[in-house]
Amino acid sequence: MLRPRIIVCLDVDHGRVVKGVKFKGLRDVGDPVELARRYEAEGADEIVFLDVSASAEGRGTLLATVQRTAEVLFIPLTVGGGVREVTDMGDLLRAGADKVSMNSSAVARPGLITEGAELFGSQCIVASIDAAREGDSWRAYTHGGRTPTDLDSVEWARRCAELGAGEILLTSMDRDGVRTGYDLELTHQVADSVAVPVIASGGAGGADHIREAFNKGQASAALLAGILHDGLTTVGAIKKELAQEGVEIR
Amino acid sequence: MRVSLFDYGAGNLHSLAKALEAGGAGVTITTSWDEALDQDALVLPGVGSFGAAVRSLGESRNRIRESLEAGYPCLGICLGMQLLFESSEEGEGEGIGLISGSVRRLRSRIVPQMGWNDVKLTSDPVFSGLEGLVAYYANSFVCEPQDPGQVIATTKYEAESFAAGVRKRRTWGVQFHPEKSSAPGLRLIKNFLGEVS
Repeated sequence: MLRPRIIVCLDVDHGRVVKGVKFKGLRDVGDPVELARRYEAEGADEIVFLDVSASAEGRGTLLATVQRTAEVLFIPLTVGGGVREVTDMGDLLRAGADKVSMNSSAVARPGLITEGAELFGSQCIVASIDAAREGDSWRAYTHGGRTPTDLDSVEWARRCAELGAGEILLTSMDRDGVRTGYDLELTHQVADSVAVPVIASGGAGGADHIREAFNKGQASAALLAGILHDGLTTVGAIKKELAQEGVEIR
Repeated sequence: MRVSLFDYGAGNLHSLAKALEAGGAGVTITTSWDEALDQDALVLPGVGSFGAAVRSLGESRNRIRESLEAGYPCLGICLGMQLLFESSEEGEGEGIGLISGSVRRLRSRIVPQMGWNDVKLTSDPVFSGLEGLVAYYANSFVCEPQDPGQVIATTKYEAESFAAGVRKRRTWGVQFHPEKSSAPGLRLIKNFLGEVS
C-alpha cells in the first residue's frame, strides 16, 4: 500500500534555513544540508527546499546547497522558488534536485508547466499554490504571498494538473505557521478535483492535524516546518503517534 | 570495481552516483556507450522520459542488448528498468529489448504513483536482508514482461499490481528508486555490487 508521506520543508535564504510566520518575519534556524540529513535520519519521507532569496547571489548559493545536499541525502529532494524558465529547472535537477516546484512563473506563463513536464517528466514538476480564503473560495497568490491573482485555487490546481504537473503543493496562507491544523476543506476540494497527489501545507501543530489531512483532506502527503524547526516535536515522534492511531506510514 | 552511470541528459545523477560510491564502486558518468560497456557494470538511471532515453541509445541498441545477453552486469532503475523492454506507451522508439514485453501507463486514479510503497520480494540475492522493504516510487508507467518468470518483485498500487523488479541473467531492473529509499535502498545497491563483482 502507498504510504501517506511526511515532508519536511526548509525555507532557504542565501544558503541558510529560515522560518517565517504567515509569510513574514524570517529567522535563521540552521544549515540546510545538516538539517536535511537529520530529518532523513528521523524518518522524514521527503525534503523540500523553498528558496526565498530575492537576489541573484542567493540563487547561485542555492545550486551549491542543492548539490551538497543531494550528495548526502537518500530521500527525494524538491526545490522551488525563483524557477522562471526550463533552464532553471534543468539547473536544479542537474544540481541534484529530484523535483522542482513553481508558483509565480507558472501563473505568469502556464505553458512552463507543460514544457517542464515534456522535458523532464511530470513526476519532476510540482505546482505550488498559495491559497487564502475569501468567503467560500480560496484566491491564489504569487510572489511569496504578496500578490493576489484572479485565480481560484481549486480551479488553478485542476489546470496545473491538466498542464502536466505531477503533484500539487497546496499551502493555506491563513494557516501558515499558526499550528491550528491544515485547511481541510481547501485540501479536500483540491484533492477531489485533481488526479495527481496533493501535499497539504500550512497549519500543522501535531500528529492529529496530519491524520486529518490524510483522512478528511485526502492529501497524499503533509508538509511540516515550524513545529520541527522549533524543536516542539520530531518526525519520529509524529510517526510513532500516527502509527499508534492506525495510520499506515513508512 | 568500476561502474558506468549512463547520462541520458536530464536529471539528478548525484544521489545515485553517491549511493554507488557508498556501496564501494568507482563511478564513471558517461554519454558514450563504448565507455558504458567497458567497465565492470552498467547502471541505467531513472530520470528523464522514455522517448529521450531511447534516442540516446542511437545505433548502439543491438550492441547493448548483446552485451547484456552475454552477461555484462546491469542495474536499471525506474525509467532505466523500462528501457530494458521493447516499447513504451510513454514515447516512440524501441527500447533495448533485453526483456520481452512493453511498458504501459498506470491505470490508477492518482498518477504518478508518488511515495513509499511495499515491495513483495522473492529470494533474489539483490534483496538479501531487505525483507519488508518499503521503497520510494515516482512513476506514471509500469513494465509488463511477457515471461512472469522474470519478475522478482511486485507492488500493489490502488487496485493494480505490477512488476517492481525483474531479472534476466545478470541484469536487474527495479521500478522504485533505491537511491531515494534511504538505508534499505543503499543496501540494495550494495547487494547488486556484491553480486556482480
